[in-house]
Amino acid sequence: MTDDKNKMTDKASEIAKHIWLAGVGAYGRAVDEAHGRLEKAGVESPKLFRDLVKAGEALEEEAQGALQAGQQARHSVEERINRVRDNFNLQRPVKGEDLLALHEKIDRLNNKIDALSASLAASGVVKTPRKSAAPRKKKPAAGTRRGTSAKTTRGPKRLS
Amino acid sequence: MKTRDRILITSLELFNTEGEATTTTLDIANVMEISPGNLYYHFKGKEQIISELFEQYETALGGTLTAPLERPLSESRGQVEDNWYYLYVVLEEMFQYRFLYYNLDNILQRYEGVRKGFQRLLQLKRAALYAICQTLLEQSVISAREQQLVGLVDNMTLTLTFWFNYEKLLHGRDQQQVTIHQGVLQLLTMIAPYLGNEQLTFYRDCESIYKRMLDDETRRRQR
Repeated sequence: MTDDKNKMTDKASEIAKHIWLAGVGAYGRAVDEAHGRLEKAGVESPKLFRDLVKAGEALEEEAQGALQAGQQARHSVEERINRVRDNFNLQRPVKGEDLLALHEKIDRLNNKIDALSASLAASGVVKTPRKSAAPRKKKPAAGTRRGTSAKTTRGPKRLS
Repeated sequence: MKTRDRILITSLELFNTEGEATTTTLDIANVMEISPGNLYYHFKGKEQIISELFEQYETALGGTLTAPLERPLSESRGQVEDNWYYLYVVLEEMFQYRFLYYNLDNILQRYEGVRKGFQRLLQLKRAALYAICQTLLEQSVISAREQQLVGLVDNMTLTLTFWFNYEKLLHGRDQQQVTIHQGVLQLLTMIAPYLGNEQLTFYRDCESIYKRMLDDETRRRQR
């Protein structure tokens, strides 16, 4: 399986090299001049992929040099990629996992409130627990806030 | 700024917004509020302006396109998204000289030098996209057979090259942000069938950003 995969990527990298060489072949200005001479001589200029590859091979050394000169360009490309990334992240919608984390938080809070109202009801401090239980069913988020504030304000007052 | 540079910048702006074919050197001089003679002192005619603009463009885009050939943009799977951001960079660069693409055949027929240079850039686009796809394949981000891969690369090159033209014909708009974002989305749509689930998240984010951009644009128009 991995052997097959290696073979495949080897083959792919060979094709990439060929495509690259074909690009170089078409790219090299020297090739343009050669084309011009061929055209003058009445010979059709090489259009086939393999001819471009050949032309590229002939110019490979020169092209390698050009690539090295491109290192500066590479640096600016990386900078620009960073800028695009920042911009993209700003616009990115809220991730599903962020929402899930929020839901979990709400669930945990709800459980706490349930436990608290249960213990309050058991101790007999709160006479009617329906007030804290009723809104929770309708709106968990709103119920959460009301429930906790009810606990802190009402609890100690009744005790004193 | 030197008059010579101002001429180039003004010409580029006019070509992009008004079209290359309908813009004359007289128009350029008028917009700059200089005499045609002054313009002629710097450039012998529109052809010279265009060939100089194209030279700038070839140097800039050529440099950008060799980046993924030299070294993969994403060294690890965690950086896969850098490849998509790179597509923005390429499209942004192309957008600056979009007049070429709006009137491509016509310009290539009239300017021999531009035609050769454009062919070189096209080959480089293809090679750059191939290098990206091949890296994605090596990192198992995409899975495709080699023949599919070559077809995919050609489709992407085609879309990349004619995207502005297509957008303008279809929507008649000339808005950088939306056009470029949709272009990236379109290119990703081609890769999407070969992507694993993990990378589809980025694709979906891209989709929702695009949707919001369109909503914003509609709202702007209604105002």
